[in-house]
Parts: sequence; structure tokens; C-alpha cells
Amino acid sequence: MSIVAYFKEEGTAATSVELISEVEQRLYREMRFLDDEEYRKWTDMMTADVHYFMPGIETRYRKDKTDQMNDLSRMAYYNDNLEELGKRIDRLETGTAWSEDPATRYCHIISNIEVETTANPDEVLVYSNFLVYRNRLERDEDTLIGNRKDLWRREDGVLKLARRRILLKQNVLISKNMNVYF
Amino acid sequence: MPIENMSGPRPDYSRYMDIEKGWVDRRIFADQAIYEQELYQIFARCWLFLAHDSQIPKPGDFITTHMGEDSVIVVRQKDNTVKAFLNSCTHRGNKVCFADAGNSRRFVCNYHGWSFDTAGELTGMHEEYCYEEGDINKADWGLKQVAQIDSYKGLIFATFDETAPSLETFLGDFRWYLDALLDNEEGGTEFVGGTIKSVIGANWKFGVENFIGDALHAGWTHDSGCRAMNNGEPFPPVDMQNSFHASVNGHGWEFGMEGVGDIFLLGRPKVMEYYERIRPQMAKRLGEVRSKIFGSVASASIFPNVSFLPGIHTFRTWNPKGPYELELKTFVIVNKEMAEEIKDDITKGVMCTFGPGGAFEMDDGENWENCTTVNRGVVTRQEKLHYGCGISRKIDHPDMPGTIYRGQYNDSNQRLFYQRWADMMNAQGWDDVPERHKSQLNGRATRDIPSMKKA
Ligand code: FES
Ligand SMILES: [Fe+2]
Repeated sequence: MSIVAYFKEEGTAATSVELISEVEQRLYREMRFLDDEEYRKWTDMMTADVHYFMPGIETRYRKDKTDQMNDLSRMAYYNDNLEELGKRIDRLETGTAWSEDPATRYCHIISNIEVETTANPDEVLVYSNFLVYRNRLERDEDTLIGNRKDLWRREDGVLKLARRRILLKQNVLISKNMNVYF
Repeated sequence: MPIENMSGPRPDYSRYMDIEKGWVDRRIFADQAIYEQELYQIFARCWLFLAHDSQIPKPGDFITTHMGEDSVIVVRQKDNTVKAFLNSCTHRGNKVCFADAGNSRRFVCNYHGWSFDTAGELTGMHEEYCYEEGDINKADWGLKQVAQIDSYKGLIFATFDETAPSLETFLGDFRWYLDALLDNEEGGTEFVGGTIKSVIGANWKFGVENFIGDALHAGWTHDSGCRAMNNGEPFPPVDMQNSFHASVNGHGWEFGMEGVGDIFLLGRPKVMEYYERIRPQMAKRLGEVRSKIFGSVASASIFPNVSFLPGIHTFRTWNPKGPYELELKTFVIVNKEMAEEIKDDITKGVMCTFGPGGAFEMDDGENWENCTTVNRGVVTRQEKLHYGCGISRKIDHPDMPGTIYRGQYNDSNQRLFYQRWADMMNAQGWDDVPERHKSQLNGRATRDIPSMKKA
């Protein structure tokens, strides 16, 4: 599914408990990898054509029709393919990522998981909410909360993350950086 | 009327530094009283960046921003000019606009329904009948306008001080350098859609001084970012003979002359190709020197609180929020003439390098936060900081205006930024602000001028 089509896509509520449970386990596993800073294991759960997107959202009046959630040409915290995501992770492996040493402590909490089937039997849409907490040094602390819409695709029998759009519920990022994934 | 400074007697701010010896007193990063004075003496007086023309192309288009801690609305008028006024109702002071950007015919206050047009004039009130003849003359109660507003090659600036010199004078010869960013191709520049804002628990000056001259930190702070973007390679060594600090009126630009370093760090081969293609044209337009300055490993700030990386295309303001906090607003600046594909590529590149999650930006904030917060300690606060790097390397350069120091690793632009800071903090009015650099460029022309060549 193209990136733009996926943003607007609506599926059918999944009825298979097995499928729902499979998706949930994938989401939890991802977040465990992020808590543990196992970033390569995390990106191994993605398809080669993954699109990882977190737009910057300005505060605008309701009547304003600017499409801030789906326009890839606007400023975004993340608008990455696998290679770009890989470069951000490369930084962490250099040994000189000073603002990650001592290590940051992460906890990713996922809830409100909804699974929808699509016309393509190998692709499911997944909605979820996240609460990402991080704490570092003495009392540096951030709580980042938002919604996600994903597309997971079955490849060789395994569900892989193919698309993710993350909507953070902050206008001003109340933090000095975004060394964190969702 | 000039802004009245409501605080008591002020010290001589020059004593917080010694530019000849190369040190700065930490109290300027920590003291609440000094911070209050900065709001009056610097932010209520200087020309401050508001918006890029391209953010508000049509009549009624607006953005909201801050001048110091004052909230302002910037609006395109029907006649295509731009006005800026306080985002604060003249009735009880409520904000009249809560959006970052948009298009509107009026700004209506949520509290009692006073309505202001796009020029800031009070045009109507809810239940207007309750005001008797003589209660109010609406013409007197519009939103407070900035004292002066002007633009330079797409960048809109304003000042609250009607006695401030023109924007052209304020920027002075720094316009010669600014053109390398703003005028390197026919059509000029524009901002990409959106703004990303973040909060750093640091004094605003640490952001500005970092971009004005701190090439030195790049190779160390950003070793990880550089290796990530550059296939594991560290920053190449700096050519200390052929790289410079240039300072004008407290504005500063540090740069190499290799022409490609920063474009390379963006990690976007198509963007590099683009600039290689237009570079001969750029050299014709701006001269050989500036065509090499653009794209080199470089960084720059406009006094007091604007910064940018010319080859990386990030543009930002460091907005003061008390001595211990700043709000960073970032934008992406591109050339109008570029194909959409190149603009998108640059935007992705900027956010991979200098967004809050960028490989470079991620490591800056923590440094500045700790440079700031350690000064909560009253003993620490009384200690000096060293700004002496390259203090003997001042040169006269035949091709470059401003105060020039040799060697990109230098504290010169920082020293001169703090000198300007003290000049502004001490001055009763603009007449007292010393002219440290005599402008060589006259009128609006900023092409290379013969007098510079023969110097
Ligand atoms: S405060 Fe705005 S109308 Fe009263
Ligand atoms: Fe930096």
C-alpha cells in the first residue's frame, strides 16, 4: 500500500482472536526492544520499504484545512525510510553519543490496540496509543504520549512493520531532544 | 515612545567580561535581574526576526511568534505589506490569537468579544451598545503595533523601538554574508511548511553563541552524528589558514572555504549535485569568495537570537524564557527555484541532522543545559569562563567585510557577540551604542565592492 493511501485507509475490524493476539505480541516485543535499546532487533521487525513518520503539528484553528497529518513535504520529527532510521541508530553505536552516556532509562507502554483487516490478506492496519517515559542522569524526565497508525505486512509468515504514523500530543516538544522512538 | 525600563539602576555590564583578555562572567547566564534587563535593553530594542515572507504569502495569512517574551501576531495586509502587533487584547489583555499560523479576516477576543482587523485596529465589540458616547474612541484602542517593521531578502524583522536605526544599518555589512544564504540563486529563498519547537533548559545565549562561532565543538560533541551521516568517518581536519570568523555589529559567521562540507553532512547526494550545478552561476552572482563560503562547514547567528547553518538549511530562533530556559523554533530554508524533489530531500536531511531527533542536534541540548544549570550554585556562578581561543589571530582580509579572525576554531565571534551584548545592555538609547565596525557597504547594494578589494 502506498504511503499516502495507507494514511487514509479504513479496514474492517478483525475478528480473529489469534490475529489480534499475534499483533499485540509484535507491538509489545517492539517496545521491549526499545526499552532495552536493542535497536537493530527493532528495525529487523520492519519491512525493507518501511516508512516511519512523525509529523510536526502546529496549533491551528478548526476551520484551517492545512493537512498536517499526511503531508510528507512538511517538517517532521521523523519521515524516514529504513536507511535513514538506520543512520540515527548508527549514531548510538559510535561510542561517542555523549547524550546517551550514561544510558537513558526508557519505558514504552502501549495500549488501545485495534486491528483491522484490509483488502490485502497480508496487510493489517493497527491503531494504538503510547506512553513513552524516559529518565536520565539525576532528574531529567520526559513523558511523551500519542497515537499511532501502523500497517503490518506478513512476509514469509511473519508480521513486519511497513508503515507507522505517530501523532505526538505536544505542540512545543517539552524536551531538549527526541532521542527516542515509538 | 521608547519602551520605559521599569527596573532600578543598572550596573556597568562591561565588567561581566574582558574581551581583550578573553573571559566572560557566568552571572550573565544565570542572574534573574540581568535577564530582566536583557528583555528591556536587547529584546525591546533590537530588530528581531519574525517570519519569512513565504510563511504568509496571502492577505490575512498570519503567524504568531515572540519578540523577547512578548507574544506578537504577524499578518500579511491587503496591500501586501506586513504588520505586527501584540497578541494581547486592549480590554483586559487576553490573547486574541491561539494558533501558530493560519489565515483570518479578524482576531476576536474570547473574553468579551472585542474584534480586531488584520491591521490590528479595533473594529467592533460584542454588545457595543453598552458603551455610551464618550466611553471609548475605538481608534485609540487597537492592538499595540511594533515600532518599525522591514524585511531583508525574504526575512521579516521588527523592533519595538522607534529610535532604532534602520534594519539595513542594524544588519550593516553582515548583509554581504547573509546574501550567501538568501540570494545565492535567482528567486531567493522560502521556508518549508511547518515549524518545530522544543524546550531546552538553557540560557538563550548558549544557543546563539554556539552557532555564531563554535566550530570547535562540532568535531567533539558531534563525532557520533558525523560518523552516522558520513559512513563512520569523523569530521575532516579544519584548514586553520583558510577558514575564518567574521563579525559585524554582534552578528557572526564562522566558515571554511571548501564549499561543500555542510552540504555533504546533510547526506543528500542530489542536493550536492544541485549546488554543484548552480555554483558557477552563484560565483557570477555573489563573487568567487561567497560562492565558496556557501556550503562549507559553517554556522552563523544574527544578533540577538537568530541562527542558521547555510549548507544544512536549518534556520532557527532561540527565544528567551527566563535565565534557565529557552524555546527553540526551527525552520527549513530552501531556494524557491529548487524542484519539489530537492526541497523534500533537504527537509528530510535537515530533520535527520538538525531536528530534535537529528543525529547532530541530539547531543547539543544537554551541553547547554548543564552549562546553564551549574550556575545555580552561587560559588560556581562567580567563576569566569574562558573565551580566549584565537585572540591574537585578527587579520585584515581584502575580500571580506567585518572583523575577521583567521581559523575557524576561534572564540572571536563569541567575544564580539558578548561585546555587542554589553554595548546594548549599557546604552541609554541607540545613540550611545558604539559603532565598532564602520560599514563598508552603502545603500542596499551588497555585491562585492571595489573599495573592499583594494584595502
Ligand atoms: S479581554 Fe478581550 S474583550 Fe475583554
Ligand atoms: Fe552543535
